[in-house]
Amino acid sequence: MITTILLILVGLVLAPLAGGLLAGIDRRLTAWFQSRQGPPIMQAFYDVAKLFGKQPMASNPWLVLCAWVYLVAAALSCVLFFLQGDLLLIFFVQAIGAVFLVMGAMSVPSPYSQVGAQRELIQVLTYEPLLILVFVSLYLATGSFQVSDILAHETPLLLQLPLMFIVLGYALTIKLRKSPFDFSTSHHGHQELVKGVLTEYSGPYLGIIEIAHWYETVLVLGVCALFWSTNVLMMTLLLAVTYMAEIIIDNTMARMTWRWMLKYVWCIGLGLSVVNLIWLYAKI
Amino acid sequence: MSTQIILLVLLPFAAGLACYLLRAAFLRSLVVLATAAILTAASVALLSAGPISYSPGPFLGLGWGLIVSVLDFALLGVILFYGFKHGNLLIKIFSVLQMLGLLILELFWVDHSAQVPAFHVDQLSAVMVLIISIVGSLICVFALPYMKEHEEHLHLEASRQPRFFLFLVLFLGAMNGLVMANNILWLYFFFESTTLCSFMLIGHDGTEIAVKNAVRALWMNSAGGLAFVLGMMFTYASVGSLDIQVILASGGAGAGLLVGMGLICLAGFTKAAQVPFQSWLLGAMVAPTPVSALLHSSTMVKAGVYVVLRMAPAYAGSFVSDGVALCGAFTFLACAALAIGQSNGKKILAYSTISNLGLIIACAGINTPAATAAAIFLIIFHAVSKALLFLCVGTIEQRIGSRDIEDMRGLYLRMPQTAWITITGILTMLLPPFGVLMAKWLAIESASGQLVVVTMMALASALTVVYWARWAGTLLAAPGGGRPAPEGLPALIRVPLLALVAGAVLLSVAAPQVYDAVVAPMLPAMPSPIEAFYLYPLFAVLGAGLLLALRAARRSRATAYSAPYMSGANIDMNPDGTWNGPMNQPVGAVAGNYYLPGLFGEERLTTFVNVAAAALIVLMIGGAL
Repeated sequence: MITTILLILVGLVLAPLAGGLLAGIDRRLTAWFQSRQGPPIMQAFYDVAKLFGKQPMASNPWLVLCAWVYLVAAALSCVLFFLQGDLLLIFFVQAIGAVFLVMGAMSVPSPYSQVGAQRELIQVLTYEPLLILVFVSLYLATGSFQVSDILAHETPLLLQLPLMFIVLGYALTIKLRKSPFDFSTSHHGHQELVKGVLTEYSGPYLGIIEIAHWYETVLVLGVCALFWSTNVLMMTLLLAVTYMAEIIIDNTMARMTWRWMLKYVWCIGLGLSVVNLIWLYAKI
Repeated sequence: MSTQIILLVLLPFAAGLACYLLRAAFLRSLVVLATAAILTAASVALLSAGPISYSPGPFLGLGWGLIVSVLDFALLGVILFYGFKHGNLLIKIFSVLQMLGLLILELFWVDHSAQVPAFHVDQLSAVMVLIISIVGSLICVFALPYMKEHEEHLHLEASRQPRFFLFLVLFLGAMNGLVMANNILWLYFFFESTTLCSFMLIGHDGTEIAVKNAVRALWMNSAGGLAFVLGMMFTYASVGSLDIQVILASGGAGAGLLVGMGLICLAGFTKAAQVPFQSWLLGAMVAPTPVSALLHSSTMVKAGVYVVLRMAPAYAGSFVSDGVALCGAFTFLACAALAIGQSNGKKILAYSTISNLGLIIACAGINTPAATAAAIFLIIFHAVSKALLFLCVGTIEQRIGSRDIEDMRGLYLRMPQTAWITITGILTMLLPPFGVLMAKWLAIESASGQLVVVTMMALASALTVVYWARWAGTLLAAPGGGRPAPEGLPALIRVPLLALVAGAVLLSVAAPQVYDAVVAPMLPAMPSPIEAFYLYPLFAVLGAGLLLALRAARRSRATAYSAPYMSGANIDMNPDGTWNGPMNQPVGAVAGNYYLPGLFGEERLTTFVNVAAAALIVLMIGGAL
């Protein structure tokens, strides 16, 4: 019982803190790559605190509703992950947030928000099958969709599922909105899309979206961590290398088009998945 | 219980005739409402009965077996007549071949002295009866005011409603008979009755396009009927019985049975409009909305999946089973992709129906207890949500004069009540903790052992999110600050809508109980996958979250609404996003959805999908030979 409560607290409180911290580190490292000083590590928290201080304004009550539902779904999926529940269920709960984020953006007659929403849907379309296949591969390797059972697996899964980890990397890059997949919204508001799907969320509501995004970051990294869960040191190393790779990709790639993403990621992702899954079937 | 069985089958036939003969609108409404109430009560009573077999006694000194045989030929004669009337060679060929096959079966093969219970009601049948009788009845009730308004639009001289309600109500009886039949020849009779009913209803408006689509539906379903007759012949030749219980128990028998099962599944595919037979169901939306709602949710297409699911034990573990899973998963994927390319609301619903039926059939093909549970869950939850959505589109169409989702942009301001009911309906199709998604989850988990099937399911599941989320968002797309106008829907429209939306949500809440009451008796060995102990916390947290969100949204009404971002060119900070365009002229903000015709357009995909699906079906049946 106490463990459960502790796990809920970890998922609810520590996860977004870690996500925010990671965002700060991300910006710092990116600045370092670009020979800039960069903001303080805690900048992400300062930003959100400032957003919450703003006067609440929205174009539409639906935006407010959708921002909150996004946060609740993201937090719930993160908590379910720390409670070691069923991966597919966790993912579908997370999808509630994704759907509501899009619905909110679509509720405003603003071209930037509308285009961003459509593109966000295509991002969902791109990463969702890949994530489901990653979960299926975890099931085939361990015999369960439950995080608890996957953690109990005795050998590092990365050795069995190397290609699936690359597939997961694609999904992670899309979910983190990193280049070359940053076209539903980007970290730079001066582009043709302005802030895309996030354009109309402002003030405290944008703050809510930011926090929800931290939860999601931690969730996807958590799934990455499952690939080397036998050893804490190796797990940390794996996550550090993965995130570093994300930052490098983000800094070296140009933004591409959604058509390219859909075709390229589905082809590569499905190809890698099928090959890796066939290995697993061969072993069973 | 025998009274209920007779009532459920014969009452709709009698009520249909009464609707046809009693020409007064008031009497017709009374008959439909009374039938709806009686069917609902009888179906609920049947659920608690447990498995029973029943054969009606002779009627006027004639055995019912003989009567059904005669009616079979009469039905085929009627279909042949329409084949001649519309000059369609395919219908003629298929109905004549069916007659030949039946003649051989009835005169030379079948041992008529064998005792075969005419009806057998188990949990699966009882569930189907419940869906048909309750959802179907609600649609019939909705049709009363709908058809009145429909005919006012058409300016008819003589009302054609008597004929319409004859077939609409009769359809329910045929469906009830179909899902309870135990003698495969009876099953075939009801199967063909639904073909005829749907033909009559699709062509109801009598326009050129309606007739054309009705004829197409008839020939495709006649092809299915032929497959059914051939399937019966193969099955009888190998098992030697017409008793479905005996056929199911003989599972693992030789190639003859498997070929027969493959053919009967093919018949189910045509009825469930699986690719490459999807075009008849797409064409069926020319009919008045209650017909589409009935065809798509509780009858007709459900007859197709019912047949496939009913026969599942007979082909378990065989190549046919894998073939069925592949065909179903492919339909799930192909139609989800095709739905993305559509902006016509009814067409999106049609593709989504076919897609979901594909998933149900895939579950039948996977043929494990968990997959069967998922299939039954999907049948239940899909029927309710889809009926609701069709009725919503019908209501919207009568008000705004369009079924295009682009025209539903910002519908919330014009039809607030219908808009939120529609959005709720969409969410119950799409998101946890609602039943459809929980069943999909179960389906994907049980498909994990089959690489191709699970890959197709993963892709289809993502495609599904796109077309539903896009539609729900479109309904909301309205400027802030506007006060929605009250709608004033007629009670007979509002009540079915509210009943269905409440049903969709409450059934999902009661999913563990539904499982215990309905699915568990069929699969005693399996622990319940829809456990209350995680479903209820999920409901509680998400429900509380939604309340919190609603409260925040309501409070935000007090603050002023800001104009959408228009790069600073807004005029007077209008919440509708009007901006200062060239020559200082005001320009309205216009938005449209992505439909990606280059990737998911019908022209682009249909041919390929049909060829691939036909190949899969050949694979399924050929593999059994």
